[in-house]
Amino acid sequence: MRPSAAAAAADGHPAGAFGLVVAAVALAATAAYVLAALRLRARGDAWPQWRDASFAAGCLAIAHAMMMPLPGGPFTAHMVHHVVTAMAAPVLVVLGRPLTLLLRTVPPGRVRRGFLGVAHSRPAAWLLFPPVAALLDMGGLWLLHRSPLLAAAHHRPVLGAAVQAHLLAAGLLFAFSVCRLDPVRHRWGLAVRGTTLFVAGAAHAVLAKTLYAVPPPGTAFAASDLRDGARLMYYGGDLVELALAGVLAVEWYTRRGRALRPRARRAAAPGRLEPAAGGRRFT
Amino acid sequence: MPNGAAPPPTAPRTRRSLAVFALIGAALMAALDEIVFHQILHWHHFYDRSTPGIGLLSDGLLHTAELGALVAGGVLYADLRRLRALSPAHARAGFVLGLGGFQLFDGVVDHKLLRLHQIRYGVDVTPYDWAWNAAGLLLLLLGAVLAVRARRTGDRRADA
Repeated sequence: MRPSAAAAAADGHPAGAFGLVVAAVALAATAAYVLAALRLRARGDAWPQWRDASFAAGCLAIAHAMMMPLPGGPFTAHMVHHVVTAMAAPVLVVLGRPLTLLLRTVPPGRVRRGFLGVAHSRPAAWLLFPPVAALLDMGGLWLLHRSPLLAAAHHRPVLGAAVQAHLLAAGLLFAFSVCRLDPVRHRWGLAVRGTTLFVAGAAHAVLAKTLYAVPPPGTAFAASDLRDGARLMYYGGDLVELALAGVLAVEWYTRRGRALRPRARRAAAPGRLEPAAGGRRFT
Repeated sequence: MPNGAAPPPTAPRTRRSLAVFALIGAALMAALDEIVFHQILHWHHFYDRSTPGIGLLSDGLLHTAELGALVAGGVLYADLRRLRALSPAHARAGFVLGLGGFQLFDGVVDHKLLRLHQIRYGVDVTPYDWAWNAAGLLLLLLGAVLAVRARRTGDRRADA
Protein backbone atom coordinates (compact mmCIF):
# COMPACT_ATOMS: atom_id res chain seq x y z
CA MET A 1 0.00 0.00 0.00
CA ARG A 2 1.40 3.35 -0.98
CA PRO A 3 0.24 6.08 1.32
CA SER A 4 -0.67 9.24 -0.53
CA ALA A 5 0.30 12.56 0.97
CA ALA A 6 -3.33 13.33 1.79
CA ALA A 7 -3.84 10.06 3.61
CA ALA A 8 -0.61 10.29 5.52
CA ALA A 9 -2.34 11.36 8.73
CA ALA A 10 -3.44 7.82 9.46
CA ASP A 11 -0.08 6.35 8.79
CA GLY A 12 2.42 8.06 11.02
CA HIS A 13 4.23 9.78 8.23
CA PRO A 14 5.04 13.47 8.36
CA ALA A 15 1.52 14.59 8.24
CA GLY A 16 -0.74 17.41 7.35
CA ALA A 17 -2.62 19.93 9.39
CA PHE A 18 -3.62 17.54 12.17
CA GLY A 19 -0.05 16.50 12.93
CA LEU A 20 1.04 20.13 12.97
CA VAL A 21 -1.70 21.11 15.39
CA VAL A 22 -0.94 18.24 17.77
CA ALA A 23 2.79 18.96 17.66
CA ALA A 24 2.15 22.66 18.37
CA VAL A 25 -0.15 21.81 21.29
CA ALA A 26 2.44 19.39 22.69
CA LEU A 27 5.21 21.99 22.51
CA ALA A 28 2.98 24.68 24.04
CA ALA A 29 2.01 22.28 26.85
CA THR A 30 5.68 21.62 27.56
CA ALA A 31 6.44 25.33 27.79
CA ALA A 32 3.41 25.96 30.03
CA TYR A 33 4.35 23.02 32.27
CA VAL A 34 7.94 24.16 32.73
CA LEU A 35 6.85 27.74 33.49
CA ALA A 36 4.25 26.54 36.01
CA ALA A 37 6.77 24.24 37.72
CA LEU A 38 9.26 27.13 37.94
CA ARG A 39 6.60 29.30 39.55
CA LEU A 40 5.76 26.56 42.02
CA ARG A 41 9.40 26.16 43.03
CA ALA A 42 9.89 29.91 43.26
CA ARG A 43 7.15 30.09 45.89
CA GLY A 44 8.73 27.23 47.82
CA ASP A 45 6.65 24.18 46.81
CA ALA A 46 8.44 20.90 46.34
CA TRP A 47 8.06 19.67 42.75
CA PRO A 48 10.65 17.06 41.69
CA GLN A 49 12.66 17.89 38.58
CA TRP A 50 12.09 14.44 37.09
CA ARG A 51 8.40 15.24 36.66
CA ASP A 52 9.31 18.14 34.37
CA ALA A 53 11.68 15.86 32.47
CA SER A 54 9.06 13.11 32.13
CA PHE A 55 6.29 15.43 30.92
CA ALA A 56 8.60 17.20 28.48
CA ALA A 57 9.92 13.90 27.12
CA GLY A 58 6.37 12.65 26.55
CA CYS A 59 5.29 15.82 24.74
CA LEU A 60 8.44 16.00 22.64
CA ALA A 61 8.02 12.34 21.66
CA ILE A 62 4.48 13.07 20.48
CA ALA A 63 5.60 16.14 18.55
CA HIS A 64 8.47 14.21 16.98
CA ALA A 65 6.29 11.29 15.92
CA MET A 66 3.77 13.71 14.39
CA MET A 67 6.31 15.70 12.41
CA MET A 68 9.24 13.50 11.43
CA PRO A 69 9.37 10.53 9.04
CA LEU A 70 9.37 7.26 10.99
CA PRO A 71 11.57 4.25 10.19
CA GLY A 72 10.55 1.08 8.36
CA GLY A 73 7.90 0.22 5.81
CA PRO A 74 4.43 1.80 5.96
CA PHE A 75 2.98 -0.67 8.48
CA THR A 76 6.07 -0.60 10.71
CA ALA A 77 6.04 3.20 10.65
CA HIS A 78 2.33 3.11 11.57
CA MET A 79 3.20 0.89 14.56
CA VAL A 80 6.12 3.06 15.65
CA HIS A 81 3.70 5.95 15.59
CA HIS A 82 1.13 3.98 17.61
CA VAL A 83 3.62 2.76 20.24
CA VAL A 84 5.14 6.22 20.69
CA THR A 85 2.09 8.48 20.64
CA ALA A 86 -0.63 6.25 22.09
CA MET A 87 1.37 4.16 24.57
CA ALA A 88 4.82 5.34 25.68
CA ALA A 89 4.37 9.11 25.55
CA PRO A 90 1.08 9.09 27.50
CA VAL A 91 2.79 7.27 30.39
CA LEU A 92 5.55 9.90 30.47
CA VAL A 93 2.99 12.72 30.31
CA VAL A 94 0.89 11.22 33.11
CA LEU A 95 3.93 10.70 35.35
CA GLY A 96 4.39 14.48 35.25
CA ARG A 97 1.05 14.84 37.14
CA PRO A 98 -0.14 17.68 34.87
CA LEU A 99 -3.54 18.09 36.56
CA THR A 100 -1.99 18.44 40.02
CA LEU A 101 0.38 21.07 38.67
CA LEU A 102 -2.47 22.91 36.96
CA LEU A 103 -4.61 23.00 40.09
CA ARG A 104 -1.69 24.15 42.17
CA THR A 105 -0.65 27.01 39.89
CA VAL A 106 -3.99 28.45 38.77
CA PRO A 107 -5.02 31.03 41.42
CA PRO A 108 -8.31 30.49 43.28
CA GLY A 109 -11.22 31.86 41.33
CA ARG A 110 -13.58 31.03 38.52
CA VAL A 111 -10.99 29.43 36.24
CA ARG A 112 -9.72 27.10 38.93
CA ARG A 113 -13.25 26.19 39.97
CA GLY A 114 -13.97 25.40 36.33
CA PHE A 115 -11.01 23.01 36.09
CA LEU A 116 -11.98 21.37 39.36
CA GLY A 117 -15.55 21.07 38.17
CA VAL A 118 -14.43 19.21 35.05
CA ALA A 119 -12.01 16.98 36.97
CA HIS A 120 -14.71 16.05 39.48
CA SER A 121 -17.60 15.82 37.03
CA ARG A 122 -19.61 12.67 36.56
CA PRO A 123 -18.64 12.12 32.88
CA ALA A 124 -14.97 12.45 33.82
CA ALA A 125 -15.49 9.90 36.59
CA TRP A 126 -17.05 7.49 34.09
CA LEU A 127 -14.31 7.97 31.52
CA LEU A 128 -11.68 7.44 34.21
CA PHE A 129 -13.23 4.18 35.43
CA PRO A 130 -10.29 1.97 34.38
CA PRO A 131 -12.28 -0.68 32.46
CA VAL A 132 -14.05 2.05 30.46
CA ALA A 133 -10.76 3.75 29.62
CA ALA A 134 -9.28 0.38 28.62
CA LEU A 135 -12.30 -0.42 26.46
CA LEU A 136 -12.04 2.92 24.66
CA ASP A 137 -8.32 2.38 24.08
CA MET A 138 -8.17 -1.33 23.20
CA GLY A 139 -11.59 -1.31 21.53
CA GLY A 140 -10.46 1.50 19.26
CA LEU A 141 -7.25 -0.34 18.47
CA TRP A 142 -9.03 -3.60 17.62
CA LEU A 143 -11.62 -1.77 15.53
CA LEU A 144 -8.90 0.08 13.62
CA HIS A 145 -6.96 -3.07 12.75
CA ARG A 146 -9.73 -5.63 12.42
CA SER A 147 -12.24 -3.66 10.38
CA PRO A 148 -11.79 -1.81 7.08
CA LEU A 149 -11.20 1.37 9.12
CA LEU A 150 -7.43 1.51 8.63
CA ALA A 151 -7.79 1.15 4.87
CA ALA A 152 -10.53 3.80 4.81
CA ALA A 153 -8.47 6.17 6.94
CA HIS A 154 -5.72 5.96 4.33
CA HIS A 155 -7.92 7.54 1.74
CA ARG A 156 -9.79 10.09 3.86
CA PRO A 157 -7.56 12.57 5.68
CA VAL A 158 -10.35 13.74 7.99
CA LEU A 159 -11.13 10.20 9.06
CA GLY A 160 -7.40 9.56 9.48
CA ALA A 161 -7.07 12.59 11.74
CA ALA A 162 -10.10 11.47 13.77
CA VAL A 163 -8.59 8.02 14.21
CA GLN A 164 -5.30 9.49 15.36
CA ALA A 165 -7.01 11.90 17.73
CA HIS A 166 -8.97 9.03 19.27
CA LEU A 167 -5.89 6.85 19.72
CA LEU A 168 -3.92 9.67 21.32
CA ALA A 169 -6.77 10.71 23.64
CA ALA A 170 -7.61 7.13 24.58
CA GLY A 171 -3.94 6.38 25.26
CA LEU A 172 -3.71 9.36 27.59
CA LEU A 173 -6.98 8.42 29.28
CA PHE A 174 -5.86 4.83 29.83
CA ALA A 175 -2.47 5.79 31.27
CA PHE A 176 -4.15 8.43 33.46
CA SER A 177 -6.77 6.06 34.85
CA VAL A 178 -4.32 3.19 35.49
CA CYS A 179 -1.66 5.35 37.17
CA ARG A 180 -4.20 7.60 38.93
CA LEU A 181 -1.60 10.04 40.24
CA ASP A 182 -3.74 13.16 39.91
CA PRO A 183 -6.65 14.17 42.15
CA VAL A 184 -9.88 13.10 40.49
CA ARG A 185 -13.23 12.13 41.87
CA HIS A 186 -13.00 8.41 42.38
CA ARG A 187 -9.97 6.58 43.68
CA TRP A 188 -10.14 3.14 42.17
CA GLY A 189 -8.05 0.65 44.10
CA LEU A 190 -4.95 -1.17 42.97
CA ALA A 191 -6.91 -4.38 42.32
CA VAL A 192 -9.22 -2.76 39.74
CA ARG A 193 -6.40 -0.89 38.06
CA GLY A 194 -4.05 -3.87 38.08
CA THR A 195 -6.68 -6.23 36.65
CA THR A 196 -7.55 -3.71 33.95
CA LEU A 197 -3.91 -3.36 33.01
CA PHE A 198 -3.60 -7.14 32.82
CA VAL A 199 -6.63 -7.61 30.56
CA ALA A 200 -5.72 -4.64 28.35
CA GLY A 201 -2.14 -5.91 28.04
CA ALA A 202 -3.39 -9.32 26.95
CA ALA A 203 -5.78 -7.76 24.40
CA HIS A 204 -2.88 -5.78 22.99
CA ALA A 205 -0.58 -8.83 22.82
CA VAL A 206 -3.22 -10.99 21.10
CA LEU A 207 -3.93 -8.28 18.51
CA ALA A 208 -0.20 -7.95 17.82
CA LYS A 209 0.15 -11.71 17.29
CA THR A 210 -2.80 -11.91 14.92
CA LEU A 211 -1.45 -8.97 12.91
CA TYR A 212 1.75 -10.95 12.42
CA ALA A 213 -0.15 -13.43 10.28
CA VAL A 214 -3.25 -11.59 9.05
CA PRO A 215 -3.09 -7.98 7.81
CA PRO A 216 -5.87 -5.49 8.58
CA PRO A 217 -8.72 -6.01 6.07
CA GLY A 218 -8.42 -4.05 2.85
CA THR A 219 -4.69 -3.46 3.15
CA ALA A 220 -1.81 -5.13 1.32
CA PHE A 221 1.35 -4.56 3.32
CA ALA A 222 4.47 -6.56 2.45
CA ALA A 223 4.81 -9.68 4.63
CA SER A 224 8.12 -8.59 6.16
CA ASP A 225 6.73 -5.12 6.91
CA LEU A 226 3.69 -6.68 8.59
CA ARG A 227 5.85 -8.96 10.72
CA ASP A 228 8.22 -6.20 11.81
CA GLY A 229 5.28 -4.00 12.72
CA ALA A 230 3.51 -6.76 14.67
CA ARG A 231 6.69 -7.63 16.61
CA LEU A 232 7.25 -3.98 17.39
CA MET A 233 3.69 -3.69 18.66
CA TYR A 234 4.08 -6.81 20.83
CA TYR A 235 7.41 -5.96 22.46
CA GLY A 236 6.70 -2.23 22.60
CA GLY A 237 3.48 -3.09 24.44
CA ASP A 238 5.54 -5.20 26.87
CA LEU A 239 7.78 -2.27 27.79
CA VAL A 240 4.84 0.05 28.36
CA GLU A 241 3.05 -2.59 30.42
CA LEU A 242 6.16 -3.07 32.55
CA ALA A 243 6.32 0.68 33.11
CA LEU A 244 2.66 0.87 34.14
CA ALA A 245 3.00 -2.17 36.40
CA GLY A 246 6.06 -0.47 37.92
CA VAL A 247 3.96 2.61 38.74
CA LEU A 248 1.39 0.43 40.51
CA ALA A 249 4.13 -1.48 42.35
CA VAL A 250 5.75 1.72 43.61
CA GLU A 251 2.35 2.95 44.82
CA TRP A 252 1.76 -0.29 46.73
CA TYR A 253 5.25 -0.23 48.24
CA THR A 254 4.97 3.39 49.35
CA ARG A 255 1.53 2.91 50.82
CA ARG A 256 2.61 -0.15 52.76
CA GLY A 257 5.70 1.71 53.95
CA ARG A 258 3.48 4.45 55.33
CA ALA A 259 1.34 1.88 57.14
CA LEU A 260 4.47 0.33 58.65
CA ARG A 261 5.95 3.58 59.90
CA PRO A 262 4.03 3.89 63.19
CA ARG A 263 5.15 0.38 64.06
CA ALA A 264 8.76 1.36 63.38
CA ARG A 265 8.46 4.38 65.63
CA ARG A 266 6.99 2.31 68.42
CA ALA A 267 9.87 -0.12 68.15
CA ALA A 268 12.43 2.70 68.17
CA ALA A 269 11.02 4.16 71.39
CA PRO A 270 9.58 1.31 73.42
CA GLY A 271 7.35 2.21 76.30
CA ARG A 272 6.57 5.69 75.11
CA LEU A 273 3.17 4.69 73.92
CA GLU A 274 2.25 2.80 77.06
CA PRO A 275 1.70 5.52 79.64
CA ALA A 276 0.11 3.14 82.12
CA ALA A 277 3.23 1.00 82.42
CA GLY A 278 5.48 3.24 84.50
CA GLY A 279 3.37 6.31 85.04
CA ARG A 280 2.50 7.50 88.49
CA ARG A 281 -1.17 7.77 89.14
CA PHE A 282 -2.85 10.48 91.12
CA THR A 283 -5.47 9.10 93.33
CA MET B 1 12.45 4.77 54.54
CA PRO B 2 12.71 8.52 54.69
CA ASN B 3 12.47 8.84 58.47
CA GLY B 4 15.43 6.52 58.92
CA ALA B 5 13.73 4.19 61.37
CA ALA B 6 13.75 0.73 59.86
CA PRO B 7 10.92 -1.49 60.99
CA PRO B 8 11.88 -4.06 63.58
CA PRO B 9 12.92 -7.47 62.29
CA THR B 10 9.99 -9.82 62.30
CA ALA B 11 9.98 -13.59 62.34
CA PRO B 12 10.96 -14.93 58.90
CA ARG B 13 7.89 -15.41 56.76
CA THR B 14 8.75 -18.76 55.30
CA ARG B 15 5.64 -19.38 53.22
CA ARG B 16 5.65 -15.88 51.82
CA SER B 17 9.36 -16.14 50.97
CA LEU B 18 8.71 -19.38 49.12
CA ALA B 19 5.66 -18.08 47.27
CA VAL B 20 7.26 -14.78 46.24
CA PHE B 21 10.31 -16.54 44.86
CA ALA B 22 8.22 -19.17 43.10
CA LEU B 23 6.51 -16.24 41.33
CA ILE B 24 9.85 -14.68 40.43
CA GLY B 25 11.24 -18.04 39.27
CA ALA B 26 8.27 -18.77 37.02
CA ALA B 27 8.33 -15.27 35.52
CA LEU B 28 12.09 -15.44 34.95
CA MET B 29 11.82 -18.82 33.25
CA ALA B 30 9.13 -17.42 30.98
CA ALA B 31 11.32 -14.43 30.18
CA LEU B 32 14.32 -16.71 29.53
CA ASP B 33 12.20 -18.80 27.17
CA GLU B 34 11.25 -15.65 25.29
CA ILE B 35 14.83 -14.38 25.11
CA VAL B 36 16.74 -17.61 24.44
CA PHE B 37 14.39 -19.66 22.29
CA HIS B 38 12.49 -16.91 20.51
CA GLN B 39 15.05 -14.15 20.18
CA ILE B 40 18.50 -15.75 20.16
CA LEU B 41 18.06 -19.25 18.75
CA HIS B 42 14.93 -18.48 16.70
CA TRP B 43 13.80 -22.05 17.39
CA HIS B 44 10.32 -21.10 18.60
CA HIS B 45 8.17 -19.19 16.18
CA PHE B 46 6.63 -15.88 17.19
CA TYR B 47 3.35 -17.08 15.72
CA ASP B 48 2.80 -20.55 14.43
CA ARG B 49 0.00 -20.42 11.87
CA SER B 50 -1.52 -23.62 13.22
CA THR B 51 -2.17 -21.96 16.59
CA PRO B 52 -5.89 -22.02 17.39
CA GLY B 53 -7.66 -18.90 18.66
CA ILE B 54 -7.94 -20.14 22.22
CA GLY B 55 -4.21 -20.83 22.25
CA LEU B 56 -3.51 -17.31 21.08
CA LEU B 57 -5.71 -15.89 23.82
CA SER B 58 -4.10 -17.99 26.54
CA ASP B 59 -0.67 -17.02 25.20
CA GLY B 60 -1.56 -13.33 25.43
CA LEU B 61 -2.88 -13.71 28.98
CA LEU B 62 0.12 -15.76 30.06
CA HIS B 63 2.63 -13.40 28.51
CA THR B 64 0.99 -10.40 30.18
CA ALA B 65 0.78 -12.26 33.49
CA GLU B 66 4.49 -13.08 33.27
CA LEU B 67 5.39 -9.40 32.98
CA GLY B 68 3.09 -8.53 35.85
CA ALA B 69 4.54 -11.37 37.93
CA LEU B 70 8.06 -10.09 37.35
CA VAL B 71 7.14 -6.65 38.69
CA ALA B 72 4.93 -7.98 41.50
CA GLY B 73 7.60 -10.49 42.55
CA GLY B 74 10.22 -7.75 42.61
CA VAL B 75 8.18 -5.43 44.80
CA LEU B 76 7.07 -8.24 47.14
CA TYR B 77 10.72 -9.21 47.54
CA ALA B 78 11.61 -5.59 48.34
CA ASP B 79 8.82 -5.59 50.93
CA LEU B 80 10.11 -8.80 52.55
CA ARG B 81 13.58 -7.26 52.77
CA ARG B 82 12.19 -4.10 54.27
CA LEU B 83 10.43 -6.19 56.93
CA ARG B 84 13.60 -8.25 57.34
CA ALA B 85 11.35 -11.28 57.08
CA LEU B 86 13.02 -13.07 54.16
CA SER B 87 13.91 -16.72 54.72
CA PRO B 88 16.73 -17.37 52.21
CA ALA B 89 16.39 -21.16 52.30
CA HIS B 90 12.68 -21.01 51.50
CA ALA B 91 13.31 -18.35 48.88
CA ARG B 92 15.84 -20.61 47.11
CA ALA B 93 13.44 -23.54 47.18
CA GLY B 94 10.60 -21.38 45.85
CA PHE B 95 12.78 -20.00 43.08
CA VAL B 96 13.75 -23.46 41.79
CA LEU B 97 10.16 -24.69 42.11
CA GLY B 98 9.01 -21.71 40.08
CA LEU B 99 11.62 -22.33 37.37
CA GLY B 100 10.70 -26.00 37.08
CA GLY B 101 6.98 -25.40 37.34
CA PHE B 102 6.93 -22.98 34.45
CA GLN B 103 9.24 -25.14 32.32
CA LEU B 104 6.97 -28.15 32.73
CA PHE B 105 3.81 -26.10 32.23
CA ASP B 106 5.24 -24.58 29.06
CA GLY B 107 6.32 -27.99 27.76
CA VAL B 108 3.04 -29.75 28.45
CA VAL B 109 0.30 -27.11 28.16
CA ASP B 110 1.75 -24.55 25.73
CA HIS B 111 3.63 -26.86 23.39
CA LYS B 112 1.43 -29.94 23.44
CA LEU B 113 -2.10 -29.17 24.65
CA LEU B 114 -2.53 -25.69 23.17
CA ARG B 115 0.03 -26.24 20.39
CA LEU B 116 1.14 -22.60 20.53
CA HIS B 117 4.44 -23.42 18.92
CA GLN B 118 6.92 -26.27 18.96
CA ILE B 119 10.40 -26.25 20.45
CA ARG B 120 11.99 -26.56 17.05
CA TYR B 121 10.78 -26.83 13.49
CA GLY B 122 11.96 -29.07 10.66
CA VAL B 123 13.26 -31.82 12.93
CA ASP B 124 11.79 -34.69 14.92
CA VAL B 125 10.55 -32.82 17.96
CA THR B 126 10.18 -35.85 20.29
CA PRO B 127 13.68 -35.79 21.85
CA TYR B 128 13.39 -32.05 22.34
CA ASP B 129 10.07 -32.47 24.10
CA TRP B 130 11.52 -35.17 26.36
CA ALA B 131 14.57 -33.07 27.22
CA TRP B 132 12.42 -29.99 27.83
CA ASN B 133 9.96 -31.71 30.16
CA ALA B 134 12.61 -33.79 31.92
CA ALA B 135 14.51 -30.58 32.69
CA GLY B 136 11.34 -29.08 34.13
CA LEU B 137 10.67 -32.19 36.21
CA LEU B 138 14.25 -32.26 37.52
CA LEU B 139 14.02 -28.62 38.58
CA LEU B 140 10.70 -29.32 40.31
CA LEU B 141 12.23 -32.27 42.20
CA LEU B 142 15.26 -30.21 43.20
CA GLY B 143 12.92 -27.47 44.40
CA ALA B 144 10.91 -29.98 46.45
CA VAL B 145 14.10 -31.30 48.09
CA LEU B 146 15.22 -27.75 48.90
CA ALA B 147 11.78 -26.94 50.33
CA VAL B 148 11.85 -29.97 52.63
CA ARG B 149 15.35 -29.13 53.77
CA ALA B 150 14.43 -25.48 54.37
CA ARG B 151 11.49 -26.61 56.46
CA ARG B 152 13.59 -29.00 58.56
CA THR B 153 16.25 -26.35 59.20
CA GLY B 154 13.52 -23.91 60.18
CA ASP B 155 12.01 -26.44 62.62
CA ARG B 156 15.40 -27.12 64.19
CA ARG B 157 15.96 -23.40 64.66
CA ALA B 158 12.55 -23.01 66.21
CA ASP B 159 13.31 -25.86 68.64
CA ALA B 160 16.68 -24.45 69.67
